[in-house]
Formats: sequence, C-alpha cells, structure tokens
Amino acid sequence: MVVRPYNDELRYLEKVSDHCWRIKKGFQPNMNVEGCFYVNSRLERLMLEELKNSCRPGAVGGFLPGVKQIANVAALPGIVGRSIGLPDIHSGYGFAIGNMAAFDMNDPLSVVSPGGVGFDINCGVRLLRTNLYEKDVQPVKEQLAQSLFDHIPVGVGSKGIIPMNARDLEEALEMGMDWSLREGYVWAEDKEHCEEYGRMLNADPAKVSMRAKKRGLPQLGTLGAGNHYAEIQVVDEIYDKWSASKMGIEEKGQVVVMIHSGSRGFGHQVATDALVQMEKAMKRDKIETNDRQLACARINSVEGQDYLKAMAAAANFAWVNRSSMTFLTRQAFAKMFNTTPDDLDMHVIYDVSHNIAKVENHMVDGKERKLLVHRKGSTRAFPPHHPLIPVDYQLTGQPVLVGGTMGTCSYVLTGTEQGMQETFGSTCHGAGRALSRAKSRRNLDYKDVLDKLDQLGIAIRVASPKLVMEEAPESYKDVTDVVDTCHAAGISKKCIKMRPIAVIKG
Amino acid sequence: MSRKCEFLVVGGGIAGVSCAESLAIYRPNASILLLTESSIVKSVTNLVPVARYLHKFDVREQDVSEMGASFQTLVDRLDHINSREHCIRTKAGLEIKYRYLCLCTGGTPKLFSGKVVNPLVIGIRDTDSVQLLQRKLATAKDVLILGNGGIASELAYELKDVNVHWVVKDSHISATFVDPGAAEFFHIAMNECNAKDSSPVVAIKRMRYSEVLPKEQTNNHGAALGPDWHRSVDLSGAREGEENRLPKIYYKSRISSVQDLADDAGAIVKLEHEDGSFQQLTCDFIVSATGVWPNTDYTCDSPLQFSDDGGISVDEMMRTNLVDVFAAGDVCTANWPAAMHWFQMRLWTQARQMGSMAGRSMAAASEGESVYQDFCFELFGHVTKLFGYPVVLLGRFNGQDLGRDYEILVRCTRNKEYIKFVLQNGRLRGAMLIGNTDLAETCENLILNGIDLEPYGDDILNPDIDIEDYFD
Repeated sequence: MVVRPYNDELRYLEKVSDHCWRIKKGFQPNMNVEGCFYVNSRLERLMLEELKNSCRPGAVGGFLPGVKQIANVAALPGIVGRSIGLPDIHSGYGFAIGNMAAFDMNDPLSVVSPGGVGFDINCGVRLLRTNLYEKDVQPVKEQLAQSLFDHIPVGVGSKGIIPMNARDLEEALEMGMDWSLREGYVWAEDKEHCEEYGRMLNADPAKVSMRAKKRGLPQLGTLGAGNHYAEIQVVDEIYDKWSASKMGIEEKGQVVVMIHSGSRGFGHQVATDALVQMEKAMKRDKIETNDRQLACARINSVEGQDYLKAMAAAANFAWVNRSSMTFLTRQAFAKMFNTTPDDLDMHVIYDVSHNIAKVENHMVDGKERKLLVHRKGSTRAFPPHHPLIPVDYQLTGQPVLVGGTMGTCSYVLTGTEQGMQETFGSTCHGAGRALSRAKSRRNLDYKDVLDKLDQLGIAIRVASPKLVMEEAPESYKDVTDVVDTCHAAGISKKCIKMRPIAVIKG
Repeated sequence: MSRKCEFLVVGGGIAGVSCAESLAIYRPNASILLLTESSIVKSVTNLVPVARYLHKFDVREQDVSEMGASFQTLVDRLDHINSREHCIRTKAGLEIKYRYLCLCTGGTPKLFSGKVVNPLVIGIRDTDSVQLLQRKLATAKDVLILGNGGIASELAYELKDVNVHWVVKDSHISATFVDPGAAEFFHIAMNECNAKDSSPVVAIKRMRYSEVLPKEQTNNHGAALGPDWHRSVDLSGAREGEENRLPKIYYKSRISSVQDLADDAGAIVKLEHEDGSFQQLTCDFIVSATGVWPNTDYTCDSPLQFSDDGGISVDEMMRTNLVDVFAAGDVCTANWPAAMHWFQMRLWTQARQMGSMAGRSMAAASEGESVYQDFCFELFGHVTKLFGYPVVLLGRFNGQDLGRDYEILVRCTRNKEYIKFVLQNGRLRGAMLIGNTDLAETCENLILNGIDLEPYGDDILNPDIDIEDYFD
C-alpha cells in the first residue's frame, strides 16, 4: 500500500456531485480505471475519517480502508468502467463489502476473483407478502415467531424439506429452486420472482469439493447465526404507490416476511478452495495484484471456470435454502390463521442476491459488451423494460430488497435507468459498518493473566488498540442514510419502507 | 417373553435420545425402541445456534410416558447382547430382536476411592446423585469438591451457605477447559464481582416439567445430567445467614486418605500436595467429580472391540466391530482418523452429535444409502457457562497436540471478556471466547477456512475493530 500523508491522499479524491466522489488513477498503483463511491454528508465523513486513520504511521495493519480497496480492485486486469463503492461500503476480504466491478468477457486477460463475490456466496434477501395487517398479527406475533422458529429446522435434516443424503444434495446443487419445485416445496410463480429464476444453469456439483458438500449439508434449510435472520415486518411508509401496488403492497400496516440467508459454510468452503487454486494460477499466468487477498484467475482459465461453476452451485444451494424457509413460513402462517398460504396471498415479492458474479450485457463507452459483473454486498437493480426482469415488474423496474441490521427498518427500492448507466445496474445491499467501531470502551488489562500464561512456555502476543480516537466515532452506516443516498444519487428509487415487529434469529 | 423392532437404542441419556429422535426423523415409519434404565429420559430442547456448527442447548428431563409417539420406550436394563442372532436380553429377562442396535449406555463417575463404595463420597452424575447431594448438603457446613472439570467448577460456583474446599490436581482451576490465564480471569472476577451473591435470577426459557421421581432408588443407573442441572436444584448448605465465603482452592493436590468420623459427623481428609507436604481438613462429605468411565456392564456373545480408555471403539459412521451394532456418546471412543481440529471429550455436546450421527448412519444403512459423516466432527466446539460467564471453546483451544509450536494472541478486559486465539503459521487453530464476544461464528470460519491471518498481525483482535462481517 502506498502510504502518504492524508492531505496528499486527498489530492486523488474529487467530489464530483453531492453524492459521488471520484478516485483518480495513481491513488493506488497500476489502476486500469478510476474508482468512485457514493455517500451523503454523514457517510462521507465516515469514509474520509477511515482513510485519515489509516494514514497514521503503522495504523491499522492488514485492514485497508474501503476507499483503498476500491482502488486496488480498479487495478485488476480486464476491469471496465469504474470500480464502484456503494454507500454501505465497509472493509472486507479482498474486495470491500459494497464494492462492485465489471470485467470484459472478451478480453482474454480479464479475471474473476472470489474476493469480489465474498465467502457467503449468494447471501441474499427474499420478501414474502401477505394480505394480513398489523392488527391481525400483532396479538399473535410471539406465537407466530415461535412457530416459525419451531418449523425452521436446526441441526439435523428435518422431515424431507431439505436434501438429506449425498444424492439429494448433488441434485439440489445442480437444480437450485427447480429442485425445491420438483419436491413440491415452492410455487411455480416463486421462480419468476427470483434473479436467474432461482437456478444458475452453469452450476456443476462435480467442481465442488467433498469438504464443501459435507460442510453444507447439515446447514440446508437453516437460518444461521450472525446476520442471518427472518423478520415479520409491517409496511411503514409507501413512497411510490404505483410500483408498490405492482408488488401487491396496497397500504401501510400490511404484513410482509423477510428472509435473510445464504450458502453459509458451503459458500465459505467453495471460496476457500478457489482461493488456494487461484494463488497457483496467478503464479503460472504471472498475474499481479496490489493485495494478496485479491487472488484471481483469468475467466477462461480452468481455475476461473471451475470457480464459476462451483460458485453457481453455491448460489443454487442458497436458493434452495431460502425456498425451504419460504415453505416453512407459509406453513406457519397458514396454521396460525387457519387457512391456506394461497388465501393469505403469500407470494414472493422478490428474491435478491448480494454476493455473486454474473455474466450480463452492459453499454460501455457507447458499445454493448458482455461483462462478468462482480457484486459483493451489492444488489442488482435493473431498470424498467430490462429483458431479465419478470413481466410483473417490466414497468416498475426490478425490486431491490434492502435489509437493515436485525431489528431496524428495511426498504424496497426499484432499479433505474441512471443506475444502469452509472453503476452497471447495481445498488446498496443494507446497513454497513465502518472499519473502526468499538462496541464499548474496553479497558484492556493483561498483567495478571499474562503472569499465569507465561508458565505455558508459549509465545504470547496481546491485542491492543492502536487508533487513538479523539472521540468515540459513531461509525455505523445506518440503513436509512444508505438508502437515501442511493435515492438521491438516482441509482435506485425508494418504494417502500418496512419496520420489524418480530425477529426470528437462527 | 420377546419383542421385535427394527431399531433398538439402549440408553436414555442425551446420546440415546438424540439417536432415537433422528431415527424417527429419517425413518418415520420404522419401529424404534428406546431401552432406558430410568423412567426419566433426557432430550435436547431450546437449541440455539451459537455459530454455524455450534449449538447451545438445554436438556429437558422428561418422563418416558410424555415423549411423543415418534418412538417407543421401555424401562429396563441391558444384560446380554447376542449379536449373531440380532437380539438382546434384558435384566428382566425380556428378549428383544433388532435389525440395528445402538449402545448409548453412557459412563459411570470415576471415584477416587475406586470401586469401593463410601457413603461419604458421592459422584455427581445423574438426577439421583443430585438428590443425594441435596440431602447431604442440607445439614452440611463444609464440603470438599474433588475434580477440575465442568461439574466441579459449576459446583464450586453454585454451592451456597456452605464452606467449599476445592481440591484440584492442577495449578489452576477449571483445567479441563481453560488455560491458566483464563483461570486467573475467573479468579479475579470471583473476588471482585462477588457474582455469587449478586447473580440475578435467570429465567429458564425452556418449558419446565415437574420432576418425576424414579419409583425406586436404583443405584446410579439413571442417565447423565444435563448442562443446566443445578438451575432447578436448591444447592444451599446449613450455614444460612453467615457471610458467604469464596471457595478455598487447594492446587496441585490429591486426597491421600479419608477417615470417617463416628456418628455421621463427616470425615477427616488428608490431602497430599505436589511438593510432598500433607494437610488435614474436616468436611461433612466429599463430592468426586473427576470424569467418567465408559459404562459397559453387560455381556456380549462376541467380544466388542474396546479402546485403551475403556470405551467401545467406533468408526466414523459410529459402527462398532460387530455387524449392525452401533455405539454413541460417553460409552464409545472415536477410533477414526480425527480431523485436524476435532478431538473427543466426553461432553453433552458430543453425546448429542454422536447420537444424531448414529441415528443418521443407522437409517442410511437400513435404506442402503450412503451418507457423509456429519461436519461437526471436523471442528471441536463446546459452549458452556463457567463462573457466570458464557464460554465458547473451538478447535485446539488449548493448543492440544500442538506441542509448543504455536503462539497465542490474547485480549482481556478485566471482569468482562477473555479472548484467546491459538495461532500456528499464521492460521487460527483454536479459540477460547469468554464473555459476550460475538466472535464464535467468525472464529469457526477462520479455523475451517484456514485463512492466513499473518498480514493482520495483532490487529485481528484490535479492540477498535470488529471483524465479524469482514469475512462475509
């Protein structure tokens, strides 16, 4: 990493509009294209503060600030347009989370990078609508949440909703939501409202390691810990009445269910396996990157193709996962309200992917080009009339589901033409955190424990804070700030806001 | 008299019930029989994922008659296995024919006094022994606890209104789970927080069942206790009203002899310290909590293969050396090539994992299917509570089998958290997380992915940086 004083760094950054900054070539070495990031005034302060902190001598070690990571991605072979940072960007492995980048499929040097997809492949959000209102659900929400929890299996496989043996898993990896449909757990129309119809056709389970399959199997149909959760939400505000009604959302108070999950350990293993292979390929093909974490391989190399096929299998795994939970949610609601999911109008509004790489056609410098688009912590947001979005949304643009952190509000946005032109049809994915965010003041104290640990005769290191914060920074990137920035910048449009009334943790 | 079933599971502990429950899931229409020595069986409830492969759970004690209809139960004891004929005989003389058999007969407490029964020495193992403890405690003023594992640590922390003398063989407390640094962390917390007095009344989230007393006092043949056993039991001694004192700890010590006093007045215990010196103390009774021996008090027509520690040797599908005979839980010893970050410890968590695995494996065998070994055997994981703090142990959390070829990275905030990473060649090999750290899932992935952490240096635990979503 180039280390320069903060004021010198700032010379490479330029505010080009109220909500967009440009990162000029030279900010990091070998940039093939420029970078950019979208912010409002509060997010801007966080972004620059993070950079400033990293400029202190020996400041943050291996953790690069988001803006540096955007620039390192801009130096990857075959990148076109710009390396784009979305408002919720935060530091991640290789690519920052909230960074999207597109690579020219017709350039033989173009690369695919697992760090640009993320470990939790096809982590995403699905939104189910109901025709219930808050007053129907509020009195029974505890029971409902409890019964969703009861029905979402934990640990071992459960009653056939999920593939249980080796053969089932292979089929599910190949077929994605078509597997769930064949087994009778989803409705045919659910597929229409999923990116890729819930199935990546290039998936090849043979390219997935045994370890990944073993790691994934016990987790199918489970929510997971951390950021994975399901929420019962109510519509809190409608910004675009017409688009909302196309999604079956008629008025405030209507109840929806949001499911947030991904491929979990399966994706982690696929990514890890690929990183190992690609480090070898990089040596062979003499590919150099600014950051070792940006391990990558040429798209057309064996390693590149193997990764894309395994990644597609992981994406299918994630869709089967979300479909299993859709089934369980519908069952729980139907049971609670003594009716059928059909009568409750429990359709999938949409299902988006946050961590994925896809082949798409985009206009670059006035010409249509076939690109491999990496979206990490970023959501596809195609405009009205785009051929890849379902008939129901041809006039509104693709719905974009943005979850806050658990317990805060969430949004539905729609894709715009401006987003298509500026960000390859991409927008934010949720809330984010800046690099530095100490949860609480910690008074580190080692003396006594170190005295005792010494007797082990093992080398001991201790963690210590290195940043001296002038003030405890409130560095959390709030989902409302993030969504407002996307709306103001025009890369997507606000449609609906929801607030949670019950959370189901994995 | 004879009976017949497709799947026969012996043992009403966590392993046995988990096995029967997974069989009921995979083979809902098969005949499944659970043979249990006590009418109270344990099942796992309130499963909460702590990380992707790690679960915290409560154990529910339930009368067999309350179990759902998913499998049948029978209260009796195993006497003899006739593996060639695929049948067993019970103590009551019943013959049961099976297609597949799983032995989950648990363990019996190791007592320092060996097999000699001494009424002043009790081993804490099952519901019956807790009731015995309670009865003895009611009139006791001084109790000696021997052992340094989970149950001993919990007792030392939970006993009230009584003087606790805690005898440990190591130079620090809770050595089964934690390193000397963490022990010091607990020690400081015990002294400074006096958590013993101020511990808030914790609501037990799970459904409560009224304790069903066994009809007769069978001599310690009930199933093992669950992780929350002390919550529902009053553990107060006879020093009510006196100031609560912290347990007195005797390090690197062992009991050299016990002399009973007349008129049930307790015993004089002679302790031998490592340096060869002796010390005498008086106590009302002794609790021996020094682990368990695999319990195999039945006979078999063909010899079962045992491991050196006395457990029934099983392969990765939980199969014993005898055809169609499986084993799981404390009674068995893992005899497969262990994964890099897993090792066996006789714990509730592993009893449950092995029980489920055995169930899955038996179901697969009966259907002629192939299954993978469950991934939980790739990474050691245990969640417990020590001295009021949540504790998560992952991988080689104490550098087990790493010799001295590793380094540790520690973050400690007095009375709040203690985090230890065990690192080898820049890779995370194990972690100990004490307090509410929110790092369990991240650590799990870091260990399993084998990500090189060298570039981050000490910053991986920099208190100003949250690494939870960095590896998403």
